[in-house]
Amino acid sequence: MSLFLFILVISRFFSIFFLQIPLDMAAIYSLYIINKSGGLIFHKDYGSAGRMDTNDSLRVASLWHSMHAISQQLSPVVGCSGIELLEADTFDLHCFQSLTGTKFFVVSEPGTQHMESLLKVIYELYTDYVLKNPFYEIEMPIRCELFDIHLTQAIQKDRVALTGR
Amino acid sequence: MQFFGGSEISPSPPAPTASGNNAHMIYVFNRNGVCLLYREWNRPLHTLNQQQDHKLMFGLLFSLKSLTAKMDPTSAEKGNLGVPQLPGQGCSFHSFRTNTYKLSFMESPSGIKIILVTHPRTGDLRESLKYIYNLYVEYVVKNPIYTPGTPIRCELFNTTLDQYARSIA
Repeated sequence: MSLFLFILVISRFFSIFFLQIPLDMAAIYSLYIINKSGGLIFHKDYGSAGRMDTNDSLRVASLWHSMHAISQQLSPVVGCSGIELLEADTFDLHCFQSLTGTKFFVVSEPGTQHMESLLKVIYELYTDYVLKNPFYEIEMPIRCELFDIHLTQAIQKDRVALTGR
Repeated sequence: MQFFGGSEISPSPPAPTASGNNAHMIYVFNRNGVCLLYREWNRPLHTLNQQQDHKLMFGLLFSLKSLTAKMDPTSAEKGNLGVPQLPGQGCSFHSFRTNTYKLSFMESPSGIKIILVTHPRTGDLRESLKYIYNLYVEYVVKNPIYTPGTPIRCELFNTTLDQYARSIA
């Protein structure tokens, strides 16, 4: 029995270790998911230089939430739903907001295409593996192993499709 | 003007393609956040009074700049979030797009910020912003009766700008 538990723990450790390996040559630098009140509920880094610590990623996420809201106020015409694409000097930020106000945003290399469809895929994974998980409390940080696994697969597949690497 | 190469105003504005009513409005701020110029060509929606609107716009740019500087995935040394950045320091941004508008942004080395709000499907406007900056240098900075740091009241600048805004595709 104890041997079985030991194997279980070890295999779990390895699976976590495997999923955490930073994937180099990134087309996508990182992914954030923020809830409707601006709290960071998921953050994954795929190899950007200089890691942000947890506090900074929380701050950046809530800052983005506010910028998104302000951009709606400054619209010259009615019906603005916030920033979809921010083009910075060294990266692009693509944002997708779901109907319930959850925001998904990816930081990618400048000029990366098809990020909207990737965000839709991530949203689908979120609805399937997070929202349908009976142990997940809504608006709380996401800790779902199946979500992690499928997300890694989706991003890897996207990268292969994009760059052939 | 060394910064942008060439000391003369470009003889022809860059790529004035199909004429249209694409430009919504323009803001020019100096480095202290004073709104030097605000012009609107096509703005059906006003959510705030003008002064509040200018403040909110400047605040948005300031915060977006500190966000992009902090998020920059290519540099390891990013400093702290919220610390004011000097012009040209840290990773900045040049545009963002929403479903109803596109905002293009340029900052000169002296901290002059030019913000152009256009239709979301307009292309890259970095050259247009440089051209507008050239107009500013020619018609405003070289105007002997203009006091730096005060709102721009140069008739010639305004008419040239209006004319150019109509050509932005």
